[in-house]
Amino acid sequence: MESVLSDRLRQTGWGAAPRAVRQVPVAMKVVVAGGFAVGKTTFVGAISEIDPLRTEAQITVESLGIDNAGPINGKTGTTVAMDFGRITIGPDMVLYLFGTPGQDRFWFMWDELARGSIGGVVLVDTRRLEDCFPAVDYFEALDVPFVVACNLFDGVATHHPREVREALRVPSNTPVVLCDARRKSHVQETLVLLVEGALRKATAASGRSAR
Amino acid sequence: MTQSPHPPRIVRPYVLTQGRTKAPESTYGLEAQVRALVPPQQLDRAATPEARGIVELCQRSTSVAEVAARMTLPLGVTRVLVGDLVAVGALAVDVGAPDAATDVALLERLLDGIRAL
Ligand SMILES: Nc1nc2c(ncn2[C@@H]2O[C@H](COP(=O)(O)OP(=O)(O)OP(=O)(O)O)[C@@H](O)[C@H]2O)c(=O)[nH]1
Ligand SMILES: [Mg+2]
Repeated sequence: MESVLSDRLRQTGWGAAPRAVRQVPVAMKVVVAGGFAVGKTTFVGAISEIDPLRTEAQITVESLGIDNAGPINGKTGTTVAMDFGRITIGPDMVLYLFGTPGQDRFWFMWDELARGSIGGVVLVDTRRLEDCFPAVDYFEALDVPFVVACNLFDGVATHHPREVREALRVPSNTPVVLCDARRKSHVQETLVLLVEGALRKATAASGRSAR
Repeated sequence: MTQSPHPPRIVRPYVLTQGRTKAPESTYGLEAQVRALVPPQQLDRAATPEARGIVELCQRSTSVAEVAARMTLPLGVTRVLVGDLVAVGALAVDVGAPDAATDVALLERLLDGIRAL
């Protein structure tokens, strides 16, 4: 980045300057997944302190594991978008909610989102249950805590959570709840369930390692 | 990076990074916190608008994802530019503890925080 900083400035020694003592909050992360148009952005927006922001990653064929493709040839690449929100828990902690890209063929993007995350919320539109299968499979395979949230389109539950649980065959310790993604209190309660699950798991694991 | 027939919006970020498309995958997570170590005035006048914008934005610690979104830059490009600014001492990145998501004390803190929203 030679063009950014003059040599003169560098010689006057920022590196040596006392670094600002500023608290950096711990960042926590939750992945909000599910099929197309199932309410992921709505869910994030209902509780985020900022309007959901959109981030794009340009995907080259190279990053899909195929050699010899550069980003300069636009034909070899595509753009994948995800959105996210932020919740400041306190000066010491901030929580990010990342919505997965609509197309679930971008698995590597899911990996990027899930890396270091507490777990996931899988949103389900009970009128097209099968759309959430990839997300459920993904979190199960990753063995991270997740919650299945049946979005209340039109404010009515077309399926009882018990039926959804049976249809999805999710593990018994995975909560299946009704959730109107437009309502902050529902989103909040869903996140509480997720973090409670993560906490149980972490507590059990630390108990094991302490023994 | 010679002539490109593609729209400026796509090509330009790669001009900014001199053709480099990505920082090592393992570097900054989306949630990694970026903060400026210098005020924007301390940047050289030749600094690119993007570099200046990032340093301005990160006067308060800001996630990599948010830097990308607010600068309307693709993630890969953002990571490269942030890495460059770290290399010259203009930014610091806190990638966080790798096991924060399974840390009992942090999860308890988070749970209390979400309940209190
Ligand atoms: N009635 C009702 N509508 C909802 C609910 N949640 C979301 N919607 C609507 O459903 C549509 C899709 O919601 P989004 O939040 O954009 O869904 P998404 O999963 O982010 O969609 P993609 O990112 O395109 O996959 C929007 O028009 C929302 O207003 C809900 O709980 N009830
Ligand atoms: Mg969306």
